[in-house]
Amino acid sequence: MKKVVGLIMSLVLLFGVLAGCSNTETSGDAKSDNKKDVDLKVWSFTDELKKPITTFEEKNGVKVELTIVPIADYPTKLKPVLESGVGAPDVFTGEIAFLKQWVNAGYWENLSQEPYNVNEVADNYVPYVFDLGKDEQGDVRALSWQTTPGGLFYKRSIAKEVLGTDDPKEIGEMLTSMDKVFEVSEKMKEKGYRMFPDEGSIRWFSQGDDPKPWVNENDELKLTDQKIEFLDYAKELRENSYTALAPEWSPSWFEAMDKPIKVKENGKETETEVFSYVLPTWGLHSVLKTNVEDSVGDWAVTSGPSPYFWGGTWLGVYNKSENKELAYDFVKMMTQDDEFLTDWAKETGDVLSYLPVTNEIKDDFSDEFLGGQNNYQFFLDQAKSIEPGIVTKYDQQLDTFYGNAVQEYVDGKKSKDEAIAEFYKKAQNAYPELKVPKK
Amino acid sequence: MKNLNNYGYAFIAPFWIIFLIFNIYPVGLTFYYSFTNYSGSGTAEVVGFANYQRLIADSYFVEAFFNTWKIWGVNFGLQIVIALILAAIFSDMRVKMKGLSFFRSIFYLPNLITVSSVALLFGILLDWQHGSLNMVLMNIGIISQPINWLNEPASAQLSVSLILTWMWFGHSFIVVMAGVSGISTDFYEAALIDGANRWQTFTKITLPLLKPILLYIMITSLIGGLQLFDLPMLLTDGIGSPDGSLNTMVLYLYNQAFKYNNYGYAAAVAYGLFIITVIFSAIVFKSMYGNERKQARRV
Amino acid sequence: MMDRTEIENNVTPEKLSKRTLVPQESKTKKRRSLIKGIIYALLILTAVICFIPFLMMLVNATRSNDAILTGFTLIPGTALMENYRTMMEYVNIWNGFKNSLIISVLVTLLTGYFSALTAYGFAFYTFKGKNFLFVFMLVMMMVPGQLGLIGFYELCKNLGILDTFIPLIIPAIASPFVVFFLRQYIQTTLHPSLIEAARIDGASELRIFHTVAIPIMMPAVATMSIFTFIGSWNNYIVPLVVLFSPEKYTLPVLMGFLKGSQVAQNLGSMYLGIAISVVPIMIAFLFLSKYIVNSISAGAVKE
Repeated sequence: MKKVVGLIMSLVLLFGVLAGCSNTETSGDAKSDNKKDVDLKVWSFTDELKKPITTFEEKNGVKVELTIVPIADYPTKLKPVLESGVGAPDVFTGEIAFLKQWVNAGYWENLSQEPYNVNEVADNYVPYVFDLGKDEQGDVRALSWQTTPGGLFYKRSIAKEVLGTDDPKEIGEMLTSMDKVFEVSEKMKEKGYRMFPDEGSIRWFSQGDDPKPWVNENDELKLTDQKIEFLDYAKELRENSYTALAPEWSPSWFEAMDKPIKVKENGKETETEVFSYVLPTWGLHSVLKTNVEDSVGDWAVTSGPSPYFWGGTWLGVYNKSENKELAYDFVKMMTQDDEFLTDWAKETGDVLSYLPVTNEIKDDFSDEFLGGQNNYQFFLDQAKSIEPGIVTKYDQQLDTFYGNAVQEYVDGKKSKDEAIAEFYKKAQNAYPELKVPKK
Repeated sequence: MKNLNNYGYAFIAPFWIIFLIFNIYPVGLTFYYSFTNYSGSGTAEVVGFANYQRLIADSYFVEAFFNTWKIWGVNFGLQIVIALILAAIFSDMRVKMKGLSFFRSIFYLPNLITVSSVALLFGILLDWQHGSLNMVLMNIGIISQPINWLNEPASAQLSVSLILTWMWFGHSFIVVMAGVSGISTDFYEAALIDGANRWQTFTKITLPLLKPILLYIMITSLIGGLQLFDLPMLLTDGIGSPDGSLNTMVLYLYNQAFKYNNYGYAAAVAYGLFIITVIFSAIVFKSMYGNERKQARRV
Repeated sequence: MMDRTEIENNVTPEKLSKRTLVPQESKTKKRRSLIKGIIYALLILTAVICFIPFLMMLVNATRSNDAILTGFTLIPGTALMENYRTMMEYVNIWNGFKNSLIISVLVTLLTGYFSALTAYGFAFYTFKGKNFLFVFMLVMMMVPGQLGLIGFYELCKNLGILDTFIPLIIPAIASPFVVFFLRQYIQTTLHPSLIEAARIDGASELRIFHTVAIPIMMPAVATMSIFTFIGSWNNYIVPLVVLFSPEKYTLPVLMGFLKGSQVAQNLGSMYLGIAISVVPIMIAFLFLSKYIVNSISAGAVKE
């Protein structure tokens, strides 16, 4: 019997050793990080924080680790980390599509209370940006440095050739309605250009002048007439060959910004160039500038048929962080540091929500990339028409579902009614609690 | 001596401790969740059979069920036919083909690659406008227009089936060869004397004797096939487009649980999947063995 | 195209046999070598089809994004280093390699050792409930892994081992299929008298297992180890669910990560990332193919 006990004991020991092994194995990364003295962990879904973090490290003599998770997986990955606190970041960002869900989830520290008291500086921000960071009780959970009104970026050389002018004002006037957009598209096509890279480009304009949320306060899913019209517009774009068949975020979409692109259509292969990209403020520095080499200076930005806003990154302090002070220092630098933000704005062209800086720089701002255009003034004007009430916690999935429905209609796989019915069904399936129109 | 037998418990103890914690308990817990409306956090409320009622009426689950079967079926049929043809070629005593080990290795190679790498690779090779496959096919002149492989339900499913075939026919070939080499040459010599031709030899001797092996391939492939997840997840946008044609059962389970946070319902989906697997494994078993069960056992 | 269908027709066994029944010896021989040649050609064609995706991958890994977008060629490009830099800027594939390797090796070791231990326990001791436990294990073997996935996730959450390698490694101790296989094996290969002899020599039970049973089981353990390793290496859904931090991702999860990351903007870098995940396995296979093929054969026939 002794032997049995001994055997079991040794097994237990072995277990301990094994568990220990795998423990050191798993925490290996954390340990080596400790050697490097990571003072702050930051999670985000893009690499735009890379440079600010370097600045922050130099200023404070600390080491910051940035973890980037692609946006499609970001909520899925981050949620369990925050829930369990294992390997959790001290600061994490939230994209507008899931912001609503997170400000109310209680993972972000309440910034309205001591010692942060951000309400005192509320007047320094574009109001909608500040308001979106509030939870249901009205406490601020996250802040953002940017405002994200949208525009339509186009190539000056093509505009001159086809439309006779490259002036943003005049171009903007040629695009004040969807019908006019199609007129311009036809002109582009006649000269061998394509108006947009893909059909999704116009989705923001399809919301019209009076955008509505996906889900209203009674948990009812609302598909507005404008959103339904988008189906027709998208189909029209495809059928008239106004797009370059380069889906958003695909390699060809990026490639077409700078270079001619080959389009295979109706058994023919043609080479063409894309005239315009529908992107908001951040599209300039994190999309266009990082992918364009040859056509720098040949771009300009103007307004489309209706104002819109797209995206936006908020950031806050994880409420179980052990280093809240430093974490908040980082948030503060990103959102209220005059010096840093001035440099940031000048360098990237990002349009800030922090008024002390924007008021300072907006009048004589000009961007080389846009041929010297003052995009700041332009976007700040656009920002006035932003309607933050349309953000709901369902946006990310519902946008995906609807995008899918549109795609299937455009590809001719479904009729309009079928595509809409399919959208309703998917929405109901993912969110049983929603009241979905029976159709 | 009786004392010694207590060692038996000690020897199997580690296995059972881990098995209970990481295998039995999760399966039980999932079963419990399948009767709740658990959403991943907070408390789980027992809702009785509501999830199962929803499951039966859920057209997405039914769709996922048929998709999974279609994709698996086409792949399995092709795979087994190719494997049998190859085995017939290499086992023929009259032709005596060389290079078995070389070809075997080459054919098996795709099976070793991580499925997610395969999915990614084909995802970009099959791209409509700029995929290398369409470009090559157009250059050779086989097609005049690019095929949007992953955008039409039928071609998307076929693509996945073909990728699976590509990955697995080498494996099936090896297994079939192992079975063929286990058949006594006496049978073939006798057949030769009786004047049987190749086709007769193959259908009357080889196939019946290969039955256990084919059953093995079929059941393992079926269990794997019903759990199809990586390829559809990574080849599409993760929700099984186009038109839900790549929505498989496990992908549906994953999305319900980890994307939409409907853990309770996802648990019911898991049990639905399990019941289906059991039923179909049983059917396969029955139809293959049926009345000759005793006979087959002897072989 | 015509030639191909004709070739395919020729291969059907029926035709083969009819042809070979032609009386004249020399003619038959000629025919036979012709047919043989055609079959070889077909086999080589199949082999090429097997290999073409890899070839496209390797070539494209050296080409720049715009070159890939304009057309396909077999001539390698010059953008290899650039692609590599772009890729490494966002995703560290080697790290995924390291993680996968650590996990797969530990899983293989644990599975091998503990399955042997359990199989030995089942085979050479008689104790109460033994048959019940064995049958119960066999029944549970039929349960697909996804069934417990949600419960497994919750369990790991409650144990606080999410985002660690523990849920990927420790469960390997309980591998019913391997236990089953090894028990069948050892019952036919190890005679109880050997154990008795060792006991008379005064060896402890665990020592007998280590010195007598393990060496005898080794071939079977090795066979199963190959499967275990490949299975663990390819595991996608469990690490996808339990791992969150990108630096802990295994190779398969990292591949999915690659797709969503900014690397995906550059096709050349994408191909390179895939190539890096594939090529080492191909090289390892070159050396091990014989063992792997034998294992698969053994695994099937022993059933």
